[in-house]
Parts: sequence; C-alpha cells; structure tokens
Amino acid sequence: MGIRKLALAGALAVASMSAFYTSACAEDVKITVWSLDRDIQPAPNLIKDFNNLKTGITVEYRQIQFDDVVSEAMRAYSTGQAPDIIAVDNPEHALFSSRGAFLDLTDMIAQSSVVKPANYYPGPLKSVMWKDRYFGIPKATNTIALYYNKDMFKAKGLDPDKPPQTWDELVDTARKLTDPAKNVYGITFSAKANEEGTFQFLPWAQMGGGGYDKINAPGTVKALEIWKTIIDEKLASRDTLTRSQWDSTGTFNSGNAAMAISGPWELDRMVKEAKFDWGVALLPLPEPGAKRSSAMGDFNWAIFANTKHPKEAFKVLEYFVSQDNRMFKDFGQLPARSDLAIPPTGQPLKDAGLKVFQEQLKYAQPRGPHPAWPKISKAIQDAIQAALTGQMSAQEALDQADQKIKAVLG
Amino acid sequence: MRRFLLSISDGRGFDIGLVSVPLAFLFAMAGLPLIYNIVMSFQEVDMFSLGTFARPFVGFKNYVTLFSLPETWPILGNTAVFVIASIAGQFTIGFGLALFFWTGFPGSSWLRGLFLVSWIMPGLVVGAIWNWILSGDFGVLNYILRESGLISDNIFWRSDPDFSLWAVVIANIWLGISFNMILLSVGLSAISQDLYEAAELDGANVIQRFYTITLPMMRSTIGAIISLGLIFTLQQFDLFAAITAGGPNNSSNVAQYWAWDLSFRQYDFAQGATVSVIMIVFVMIASVVYVRSTRHEVRG
Repeated sequence: MGIRKLALAGALAVASMSAFYTSACAEDVKITVWSLDRDIQPAPNLIKDFNNLKTGITVEYRQIQFDDVVSEAMRAYSTGQAPDIIAVDNPEHALFSSRGAFLDLTDMIAQSSVVKPANYYPGPLKSVMWKDRYFGIPKATNTIALYYNKDMFKAKGLDPDKPPQTWDELVDTARKLTDPAKNVYGITFSAKANEEGTFQFLPWAQMGGGGYDKINAPGTVKALEIWKTIIDEKLASRDTLTRSQWDSTGTFNSGNAAMAISGPWELDRMVKEAKFDWGVALLPLPEPGAKRSSAMGDFNWAIFANTKHPKEAFKVLEYFVSQDNRMFKDFGQLPARSDLAIPPTGQPLKDAGLKVFQEQLKYAQPRGPHPAWPKISKAIQDAIQAALTGQMSAQEALDQADQKIKAVLG
Repeated sequence: MRRFLLSISDGRGFDIGLVSVPLAFLFAMAGLPLIYNIVMSFQEVDMFSLGTFARPFVGFKNYVTLFSLPETWPILGNTAVFVIASIAGQFTIGFGLALFFWTGFPGSSWLRGLFLVSWIMPGLVVGAIWNWILSGDFGVLNYILRESGLISDNIFWRSDPDFSLWAVVIANIWLGISFNMILLSVGLSAISQDLYEAAELDGANVIQRFYTITLPMMRSTIGAIISLGLIFTLQQFDLFAAITAGGPNNSSNVAQYWAWDLSFRQYDFAQGATVSVIMIVFVMIASVVYVRSTRHEVRG
C-alpha cells in the first residue's frame, strides 16, 4: 500500500507538473487513454511514439488492471471523469455502446483513410458493432486452435502430419495418446467456471450449429457430450473444470498432455518451454465439411461519448491503427486485420503455428455482442460444469441454460 | 449555560463528547456503507446508475428473485458448512497446539512464534500454494495419501463436487490455526498457576483440571475467538478465488464469493447487495449470541 501511495503521489506530482508545462508552452489538446497494457505491450509504447510526433495532441496514459476495467470505466463515466479513449474486453463492448457511453464512430470511419472496415476480420469487427453502427475499433485479436505434440503422435504410431479433423477423431486420438502410466493425458483444455470456460465452449457450440442464442441445439448438446466423454474417460484431467487455459497448456508444455486447446498467446512460452516437436491445427469439426468456427478474444478501442475532443481522439486511434503492422513483431499480439501480412519471426514452429491461427481467425466469432453478456456467459458456464460433474445430463444442463439466456435476451 | 459548559469540561457532557467521536467515526466508516448496502438491495441498480442515489425502488423484488434461483440454497448451505467446519477445525487444532506449547518445553515460545508465519501470509499466496498441494494429478496431498495407502485413485480436490468445498476448508483451517493458537495461548497464560496447584492438592486429575479450571477461565477468550473466527471465515475470499473460484458448478461457492461474483463479474450490484444483506443478518444473529454468552462473565 505504501508503495502504491507513493507511486500515486509521484504520478500526481508529475501530472501536475506536466499539466503546468503544457499549459505554459502550447495549447496542446490533451487526450487521456486507459488500457490494461503494461510497459512491454502496445498502448504505452504507441503513445510514447505518438507524443514524439508533436502533432499538437498530447496523450496521457493510465494503466488499469484487468479486473477493474469495467467498474473503473463505469465509475468514471457516471461521475463525468471518463478518459477520452479506453480499451475494453470485446464481450463487454456492447454493454457500453448499447447505453450510449461510447461514441458512434461510423461517420468518422467512413471518412477515414486509415481505418477501413474491409481490412478487418469479421469476428473482431462485429464485436465493436451495435445495431449496425461502429462504436469502436478492434485493438488486437486472438482465437483458439488445437496444439499437438508431434513426438507423442509418432510414439503412438499416429501420423504427426494428420492431426484430428473431427470431434470423433479427436476423442479417438485422445484415447490412443492417453497413457496413465506415464502421467500423460490425451488432451487438455479449460472448462473453468469463468469467461474462459465460455470462451472455450462457444466455438464447439457454434460448430455444432448452435450459439449463445440457441445453446441447446442438438449439435451443441453433442459437443458437451463429447467434452463429458473426454472427462469421464479420463482423457483429460478432471482439474480441467477449475484450471485456467494458461495452466492447462502448461501441462502440455511439460509433456503431461498430448494435445491442448488454447490461443496464440501460448506461442512464445511454448517455444521456450516445450522440449518436443509440436504443431497447431484448426479446431476439429463435428463432421467433415461442417461450418468452421472459433472463439474471439482480446480488446477493442473505444472513445467515450462525453469526450470534449472527439476529432483528436479519433486521430489518436488512427495512429494506433496505422501501427498495426508492428503488433506481432514488437508486442507478440495479433492485429485484428486480414490485410496485413505478418513477417516471419525466424522461429519455424512459431511461424507455422501463426499461419494456422490466422486461418482460424477467419472463422472467429465474437461473444455476443450483447449488453448483458456476463449473465449469458454465466448460464453457459453453469451448464458446462453441471454436465461435466455429472449432476445433470448435457441436454438438461443446456436446456436450463437456454431458459436462463432466453430470460436475459427477453 | 454555565452548567452546560461545566458539564462539557467535566461531567456527562464530557462523557458524551468522548463517546461521540468514535461513534461518529464508526458511523461514517461502517454505518453509512452498511445502510447504503441495505438501501441498494431494495433498488434496481446497474452500472450506469452506480454514481447516483436516485434509483428506482423495487421493494423485495431482489430478494424474491434471489430465492427463486436454484443455486441460492445450496450456496447458503455451503456457507454454513464452510463456517462451521473451518471454525471447528481451527479452534480444535489451535487449542490443542496452545495447550501443547503451554507445557513450556525448551524452545516452545520460539516455535509458537514461528507458527504465526501462516497468519502473516497474504490469502492469495496461501491460496496459490494450496492450489498446488491440492492439485489432482501432481498434488502433494494426493501423493502422500497414495503413498501411505489411504487412497488408490487420485482425489480431484478442486474439481470433484464432493470435495471442492472441503479443499477450501482444509486450506482455511491451516490459515487460521496459528491465530487461534496465539490468542488461546494468551488466555492460558492469564490463568493463575495457584488454581491448578490447589486443585492438584485436592486430588483433581488432568482431565478434571481442564474441564473445571481451564475451560471456565477461558470462557471469554473462547467466545472472542469464535466470534472473530466467524468474522474471518465469513470474509474469507482469497482462498476461493485462488483454489476453486466457487466451482465446479457452485459446489464450493459461498455467500461472500457469490456476492462478489454477482456484483463485479455479472455487474448485478443489486443482487450482490442482497446477498451481503443476508450475510449481515447472520452475523447479527451470531453477534447477539456472542454478546449474550459473555454478558455475565466474571473476569478473574
């Protein structure tokens, strides 16, 4: 606490000094930006570069913690102290835009030579939309795919260049790869009772022909039954129910799971930690030729509706967008754009994996967008957990979730 | 007027003045938030009306909705199990250890001090460590149980609905033992040795001495510890966040974690406030019991 207070006092001192300085020398427009990016992540670095350009706009940055983004933003907005620009997690975007807290950027985007909707993957773009208007710009994106241990595939007589294509193949492969004597599970993923569980399950639901608005579709029920088979037959650890994606993939890296479902944020750690040959494959489908789908994660930029400088704030966003080609090289994040070619990193496993993720991103779908997304998500998490613990059948659990979601959707 | 001034400098007015300062402080720091919380539980609140007081009143609607949820009763039941099991475990083991160190073997005061380490550690750190210990596949606890032949298959402490609540109870007992032990040690050392000598001369054995001298003399300490234990277990949040996150399927969810989840994960502040009001009611009942049980005590 002491350090925090000191840091706060220091920040205040610096802020008041710089405020004095700016007002003394030039009438720069001041834009404040809030995001959760740390010093090695995009926002603070892009802002530093932007300020060095001396465009007559000075950007001030404040880092907020992941858990505080929404509550801090809401508090600030309702007391009239909101920043000009904020980065919010994509499923929470609609909560703000539906209530008019975010500025409608549609007209500015139409006139912009930098921000072009056609350049974006459809999933991330949809997440900034509300009633066919744009209320933000995707900041970065990610999705999930299937990592697999090629060495283990070879050891069990499986073709390392033919990862499972369908759900049934996935279960079959997991059965073959599971080796309790060696402490190896066939697969690892996350069914945790938080947003991560929803994030991992929704792609399966969507591939099965369902979605959050029809969560008890037959294909979705089958997806949950497959998950249950995987847990019941001990093809994945029971701790899948309480483990995060990051921790689950950790067991893959240490050779205790032969396959893992997770996102591109794992690439760097895997290159460092995994002492085996691995590959990435698209998420398996319910049957060959079925419609692909995947999850869509990461944050969006938005401008608060009560900003005094909407034009300048949009200029700042345009600058961020113009730097999208640096996202992967400098910060390890995927830009939400399909028009940018990401240059190879020189790390063959990582580059191969990246290609698959870029392919998978074409099918990524946002969660929602709906202003009451957390409630919808909670209903889905409860259903997953009720079915996997055997307290309800997959059908019952998803029927119950459907009722809860229908009540939210109205 | 003079009498009034006089009473302020010395007399009733002075007493009231002294009492009013801490009362005002308590009211501002604890009373107002409490009232605000109760008011909020009767209102319709969302993220956009957080900054204002003028919110629509909805009567008991929040309570009715809350009790129509299928998870409400199981969660309240879990809370009761968690509180009772944690306090029982912490108190019994803490008392045992306090009695053990009270015998005064060489180095006992040192060891007793070392025990406090667990109490000093932040809850999230304790939670992270127990997370590893209780892990299903590679957890230390499972390893010990398996090697000693007590179990043949791994127990998934965090992920099996039959065990998840107990996983947090175990961690919470470990966390609270040292605090119980230290307070009970203080109580024990306040008992005069003369009493025991006299009883011994009268021919009372160890068990008789414990039940007729130690326990009655410790009555106020025990009452205080149990009510403090109640408060600490009801505000235990970090362990749930770190070990099970209330899962699987709410099998380890308790009121305090649920209130947070409702307010800050689902942004349903009214429901979150409603859960906390229910908790306040339970704490009130417990504190009335505590105050009544220690009202007639004679300090010796």
